[in-house]
Amino acid sequence: MNYIALRMLFGDRAKYLMLLCGLTFAVMLIVQQGSIFWGLMIWSQSSISNLNVPIWVTDPGIAQVDEVKPIADTTVDRVRSIPGVEWAVPLYKGLLRARLENGEYHQITLTGLDAATLIGRPAEVLEGRFEDLRQPDAVALDQWAVERMGGPTVITVGTVFELNDKLARVVAIAKTQKTFTNIPVVYTTYERALRYVPRERRTLSYVLAKAKDSAPVDEVIQRIRDHTGLGAFTADAFGWKTIGWVLKNTGIGINFGTTILLGFVVGMAIAGQTFYLFTVENLRQFGALKAMGASTATLARMILLQAFTVGVTGYGVGIGLATVFGLLTAQEGQLPFLETWPLLLLVFVALLMICTLSALISIIKLARLEPAIVFR
Amino acid sequence: MTILNRVSVWLAIAGAMLAAWVVLTAGKNQPMPTPLVEPPRSPYETTVAATGIIEAANENVRIGPPMAGLVTNVFVTVGDRVREGDPLLQLDDRDLRAQLVARQAAIPPAEAQVEEQKYRIGDLDTQLKRLKSVRDSRAVSEDDVKRTWYASEMAKRALNRYEATLKQVIAQRDETQMLLDRLTVRAPRAATILQVNVRAGEFALTTGATEPLMLLGDIQQLQVRAEVDEVNAPLVAPNRPGIAYLKGNTAQAIPLTFVRIEPYIVPKKSLTGDNSERVDTRVLQIIYRFERPAFPIYAGQQVDVFIERAPDGPPAPAPGSARSAEEPTK
Repeated sequence: MNYIALRMLFGDRAKYLMLLCGLTFAVMLIVQQGSIFWGLMIWSQSSISNLNVPIWVTDPGIAQVDEVKPIADTTVDRVRSIPGVEWAVPLYKGLLRARLENGEYHQITLTGLDAATLIGRPAEVLEGRFEDLRQPDAVALDQWAVERMGGPTVITVGTVFELNDKLARVVAIAKTQKTFTNIPVVYTTYERALRYVPRERRTLSYVLAKAKDSAPVDEVIQRIRDHTGLGAFTADAFGWKTIGWVLKNTGIGINFGTTILLGFVVGMAIAGQTFYLFTVENLRQFGALKAMGASTATLARMILLQAFTVGVTGYGVGIGLATVFGLLTAQEGQLPFLETWPLLLLVFVALLMICTLSALISIIKLARLEPAIVFR
Repeated sequence: MTILNRVSVWLAIAGAMLAAWVVLTAGKNQPMPTPLVEPPRSPYETTVAATGIIEAANENVRIGPPMAGLVTNVFVTVGDRVREGDPLLQLDDRDLRAQLVARQAAIPPAEAQVEEQKYRIGDLDTQLKRLKSVRDSRAVSEDDVKRTWYASEMAKRALNRYEATLKQVIAQRDETQMLLDRLTVRAPRAATILQVNVRAGEFALTTGATEPLMLLGDIQQLQVRAEVDEVNAPLVAPNRPGIAYLKGNTAQAIPLTFVRIEPYIVPKKSLTGDNSERVDTRVLQIIYRFERPAFPIYAGQQVDVFIERAPDGPPAPAPGSARSAEEPTK
């Protein structure tokens, strides 16, 4: 029976390809859009993941990482005083304008790391030495800053530019994940960052901390909140908070959601219609089988097998194509594209739903089928 | 199997494998790069962290000028050891010296006047004696004797006046001399010159200057001034041990011995090293003594301080509770 079902499916090449194309298209659209959407979301919290520290402490009213709410300098010591905190270092983060030698201005994100430990520095350095940040007037850039500010011919190790009328000399170029806003990131030490920025009463943006290995992170975070009255988050939680903010305050979620829904609906429409036509065309054969004594359940199983076979094939080709698209366009992190297994799983479930639904229509048709149709 | 004869099926398998490979290899979190130097960690179970600055044991002296004026001479350089009273710098004193010349010149005439008056008195006294020695009232009238006596007495009073004037002139000269001396700024105590922020030819201000002309301190004995946020102030107990790390050197800890807690909470000053600090909170200062370690250490260096909390010390306050506990009881 299964053999017959598959022969029926593969026998009509044109219909089979039509079905396959419809499903492949739907899967590809959903996976590709989903991956871009997720890539964008990951970009929106790059500022957190790029620094790669476990605990962030700042004002409790913070909504997302790029919205800085300065806190008192002594907060570092207050966090250090909390039992279970292994270390805590200050972080400055703020927007500033850089003026290049050629007279161009660029908005940049100034990131001031603790001078002694440089905790929060990028893991991968493309050019120069990140440790040279301790030299006078030294700053480090990420590779996107080089790209945004005019490319490697304009910005390289040794280039000098002005930050708020003060000299900055590039000593290293680091590899980081692109951010949502794609504002170039300039790294320097905390003390030097304060020298670059205009005067403010409070300057500390974040306290970066790590819990002792012996203490559960959640407990330490709760203790920081209770003792200091500040907001403390794990990097993950802060990332989700930022993603939530982006979804709530921009149209990205609705945009991508609509596209994904459209992919789902179009895929379902194509698959359902084609499959229905396929079943209708083969009604005579099904009728013959029924006349030969095949029960409706057997026929239903055949239809489902056909639907799932074409569905799984379409799924495989679809995710393959989406992955190739991702590999081609999102090289070097230029485009946001991140495939994750939950997305693939979700798409698989959606696909099974499409297949089941379109099979169901055909099954209903078959259930009402009179075997006598063969003789018409 | 029919199923394996289809190109589409092979394509599907290839696609799924590619996707699986991409998903499995991508998105792996890199571990955090190891810090260049270990961040300062507390050696104690419960601790109060503070930021500290190393300073001379009996506080640094910020030398200021007695009055605004031009600096004509700086007698010391950074690192010099000075004793009490050693001259440090000289302010412009030309106007006072000019005055001194004039005041000095006023002394000899006053002295001469006194001398002159003494002779006048001598003359009158001799006259009076001679007149008195004549017994014949026809030769010398009573009137003449009286007149000469009065003249002599008046001359003596005039002498007193001249002597007073002389004293006044001398006092005026001494005044100028003292004012002159004041323009030489001297070391208030034996110390080492830590900073010289003035050069000959600069104008020294008495108010509005951001840095002292000179910084004096005894660097033989150093101490740590640790600053704890006022919120954490109740957690600090006296006589608890502490430990300090120089910025960027967490390998070598400096054990601290408690000296005292400053009783007055002050606006926070250290941390950025900026010379006009932005006040955003107030801090409790605790003084610690330490033995000079084997590695070099300088006054003015910043340190990260960890102070052990008292064993059954006050629990960390919940937010707001610190304030309510301090509410005045009427």
